[in-house]
Amino acid sequence: MEDLLVRIICRLVVPFVQLYGLYVITHGHLSPGGGFAGGAIVGASMILFALAFNLEAGSRKLSHDISLLMESGGAIGFILAGFVAMLLGQNFLTNKAAGFPLGVPGNLFSSGAIFFFSVAIGFKVGSTMCTLFYNLIEGSDRHRSSE
Amino acid sequence: MNLNYEHLPVIIVALLLLAAFLEPIVYRHKKSWAAPLVIASMAFFALSSLYLMAAVNYHGPFNYYLGGWAPPFGIELEIDYLAVFLLLTFSVIGLIAIVYGLQDLKHGLKDEVLGWYFTLYLLLMASMAGISVTNDLFNMYVFVEISAISACAIISIKESRECIEASLKYLILSTLGSGCILLATAMLYMITGHLNIGYLNDVLPRVMSHYPNNILISLGFFVVGYGVKAALFPLHVWLPDAHTAAPSPSSAVLSGLVIKVYAAAFLKVFLKAYPREIFLEIPVMEIVLFLSVLAILYGSIVAMVQEDIKKMLAYSSIAQIGYVFLGFSLMGQRAVAGGLLHIFNHAMMKSMLFLAAGIIIYSTGIRRIRDMKGLGVKLPLTMGAFTIGALSMVGIPGTNGFISKWQLALGALDLGRPIIVVVILLSSLLNCLYYMPIVINAFFGVKGEPELEIGKVPGVMLYSILFLGFGIIFFGIYPAPLLAFLQKTVTAIL
Repeated sequence: MEDLLVRIICRLVVPFVQLYGLYVITHGHLSPGGGFAGGAIVGASMILFALAFNLEAGSRKLSHDISLLMESGGAIGFILAGFVAMLLGQNFLTNKAAGFPLGVPGNLFSSGAIFFFSVAIGFKVGSTMCTLFYNLIEGSDRHRSSE
Repeated sequence: MNLNYEHLPVIIVALLLLAAFLEPIVYRHKKSWAAPLVIASMAFFALSSLYLMAAVNYHGPFNYYLGGWAPPFGIELEIDYLAVFLLLTFSVIGLIAIVYGLQDLKHGLKDEVLGWYFTLYLLLMASMAGISVTNDLFNMYVFVEISAISACAIISIKESRECIEASLKYLILSTLGSGCILLATAMLYMITGHLNIGYLNDVLPRVMSHYPNNILISLGFFVVGYGVKAALFPLHVWLPDAHTAAPSPSSAVLSGLVIKVYAAAFLKVFLKAYPREIFLEIPVMEIVLFLSVLAILYGSIVAMVQEDIKKMLAYSSIAQIGYVFLGFSLMGQRAVAGGLLHIFNHAMMKSMLFLAAGIIIYSTGIRRIRDMKGLGVKLPLTMGAFTIGALSMVGIPGTNGFISKWQLALGALDLGRPIIVVVILLSSLLNCLYYMPIVINAFFGVKGEPELEIGKVPGVMLYSILFLGFGIIFFGIYPAPLLAFLQKTVTAIL
């Protein structure tokens, strides 16, 4: 289905949705939301793009390789950030006691390691949403062509 | 930098998860490194479990606070005798199964899903390690969900019709089970405000008389939830299809380890979180005992009429998980030790039998028991190992199956329940009825059909089942150190 209105509106909306998603991810410790909610918003923006244009255009913006890398990278980043605390002599996932600077409360960088955890979760959730969506679409395509 | 052994349990879980997420990238860009990565992580898991067992045996159990937050606020890992026992069982059997699986999976799986299989396998192992060490009910629920989803994906990985059907059945039932576990956890949290097992045990005696309904509901939901997942008798319907449809190494792990981990979680929740007085007033353990007796008899009887060898082994698992629950629900020192010992022993026997069946299917393509006449001449070592496993299943002295059945029988006699001994004896005879014909046919059967085509059996596959067969004999003749360790485990729990 080709619809000029949908495409133009989508082009206008997608950057704002993504910016809002990134805002929710990075302000997870200050405002409602966090890694999961923000990642879901970013992922939804990519799904919106692929719905309004088509699958090829969508996967040109975010290829399988990149989304695979982001998906695994998010989870790996989370675990590695947990290990940093262990290398600093504290228990797994320790935040302040391991020496992460907390900063001034209310500022963007005021949560020590939680900031990294939120970003890692955001990457993971956003790319997983895309991958799930692409897999559903491509799966039905593949089965149709094989019949 | 101060890395002592107390970090090891969390390193195990985190490193297995790390390897699991690394696997898709590695498989995409450097395919030849994928298999060594799995083996290396599983070998690390096995070695560090061995080290932890030695450390706990020497220094005693210890606790670990994630993020440095002590309970009741933070998540606590409790590495006691039970946890290291489970870790060692899972890691060693898991390592052997994947070493075997590298050969078998190339044969049975499509190339592009092999990387995903490794990911799922490592996720499954990480979740089982997590369930073993955690001391927090909600954390346990999260790991239960991870293991359920990865097990489900492992079953469906072949994408054939029966695999999809089996995994869908498993998905629906195990999601129901997860829901029950979550609801039961919520019921306990509602009246105590704690999720930590130690704190629950402290607070529950004070509040349980005020909230009898919450206690009843939570007990019921926990029994149903863990019962579905561990395939306790009336809730077992997903198991035969699921364990038959999966590739052989996965069947070995699913049947040998995954249903056990839920039985162990059941033990943790019921004997460590709930105070003992509850079971005097609410006969939940009597119900579980009754169900496990039914499971033992039903599993053995239905296994007798199966034609497919993997299906027969799957039904036999239903009977064997009954033994584990039998030991736990008797709640005596020796009975619980027998149940725990049966977790270890059955993990060895059943995974070896599944792997041996996998070799038979790999090299001849035969799945029907009737066609296995004269196979002992063609595959002497495989059928020899199968015979050891079958003897151990029946409980012939000299194999480890005998030791755990003996312990269970003694445990039942300690509590003055001779009828349980009759059930164990009857079930051993039933086991004999369906395992022995295979062995006798294989070695002494006269084949009427044309010569079988026997493919070459890879050495790795053969060595892994011979290693497990050696373990069965070893622990059948020399179980003393294991029994002494389990004695300590049970004294700490009860």
